[in-house]
Amino acid sequence: MAPPSRSARAAVLASSVQRSKPTPYPSKARSALIRRAVVVGLVIVALALVTISFRSPTAGALHDVQGAGSTVLRPFQIAATRIAQPFRDAYDYVQGLANARAENKKLKRINEALRQKDIERAALAAKEPALAGLLHFEQGSSFPGGYRAVNAAVLAPPGGPFAHTLGIEAGSSSGVRLNAPVVSGDGLVGIVTNVFPDTAVVTLLTDPNSFVSARDLKTQVRGMVHTGLGGTLILDQVSKQLKVTNGDTIVTAGTHNKRYPDLYPYGIPIGRVSSVNATDTATFLQVQVQPYVNLGSLEAVAVLVPKKQHR
Amino acid sequence: MTLGDGVKAAALLFVAAVAQVSVFAQAHAFGAVPDVLLVSLVGIALLRGSVAGAVGGFFAGLIVDTASLGTLGLTSLVLTLAGYWIGRYGETTGRDRAHAPFLSVAVVTVLYQLGLLVVHFVLGESAPAGAVVRSLLPAIVFNLILTAPIYALVRRLLRPTPRDELTAEVQLLG
Repeated sequence: MAPPSRSARAAVLASSVQRSKPTPYPSKARSALIRRAVVVGLVIVALALVTISFRSPTAGALHDVQGAGSTVLRPFQIAATRIAQPFRDAYDYVQGLANARAENKKLKRINEALRQKDIERAALAAKEPALAGLLHFEQGSSFPGGYRAVNAAVLAPPGGPFAHTLGIEAGSSSGVRLNAPVVSGDGLVGIVTNVFPDTAVVTLLTDPNSFVSARDLKTQVRGMVHTGLGGTLILDQVSKQLKVTNGDTIVTAGTHNKRYPDLYPYGIPIGRVSSVNATDTATFLQVQVQPYVNLGSLEAVAVLVPKKQHR
Repeated sequence: MTLGDGVKAAALLFVAAVAQVSVFAQAHAFGAVPDVLLVSLVGIALLRGSVAGAVGGFFAGLIVDTASLGTLGLTSLVLTLAGYWIGRYGETTGRDRAHAPFLSVAVVTVLYQLGLLVVHFVLGESAPAGAVVRSLLPAIVFNLILTAPIYALVRRLLRPTPRDELTAEVQLLG
């Protein structure tokens, strides 16, 4: 095939071809027009629906149509809900499990805190009768005159059958002094035998070295209360000619001679006579005394401090 | 768009609208709800163009408004514009791009929520802008999660238009 001659190509390129004016693509223009018309029409209809629905939301033809449409759609909605229900249940179950774990942890924390509070309250409640008894004693007529009470919690109760002391939460800073009598709401507890700034040691009535001058409140028979054989409390030094009966109340005898003041003021209850025996060989009556105070379970005591300090 | 495609698209939108009102509307999380209807509409509009998107949005909105007994036409208005806009995006640039559905869903989620907010505000109804703005991000996330399966379903129902049909309006010189 022969290549086209240069002159022929030039002639073709040089010739002025009259191009027709580009016409818009009719299908494209038409579709754009239709598209816009559809959209504008739909927007106008939607706006009209909004306007009508908004202006008369509870009445009118549109409202009725909407109600009817809703009724028609209702079965489909119910069906959709039923179909989705198992999935929703599964989701709720999983979510419940996830929440339950977190909730369980939270509830355990709350439970622990509540248990602590409960124990604290129970402990306070357990102390309440002792405190009430103490208050009752301090406000009662048997409270010795010339003394004031220094209330103290029991820090260290007697630690066994051989321990006859207890620690209390009050010391010299509170006015507690050596040899100060100690009472509870029920009666005599013992005597302070060691004092520290904020604590003190109380030797109990049951200590073998403890001797308390006492008397029978009914018969006014005097004696000395101390621990006898077998650890029981006895009222000793009571002559066989004197009369002491079961059930008599024994109280502290108090000071007889002001030159020799007693450590215990008069009238502090010690105990009740539980048995009285007299033997031919013994010089004195054998009077057993049941102390009013349960010395093993003291919660709070009061130290009786003289209002006038002796020098 | 053939009649068969139209029926399939209408059925899909109907099911999506009913499911949206009955099921998904109650699936609250982080202040947002997944919008299965919007995602379906995006798929249809991307594959079948702006007219299909606008018409589908209008009637889907009518179903929603009817079923939820809301202000009739309100959802239609916003979904019509959303469908039209996504359809135009598909017709012009986005149709063949893999990210088109996801981008469209993300953008239209924001526009749809803001559009509803504006319409409610204009009508004098409750328009909690703060709550809507706060729910935007979770709503986008939820809808993006739904996009892949729903778009795949829509593609299966409505086969993409062959390439030559799409470019029929371009005339070759010579």
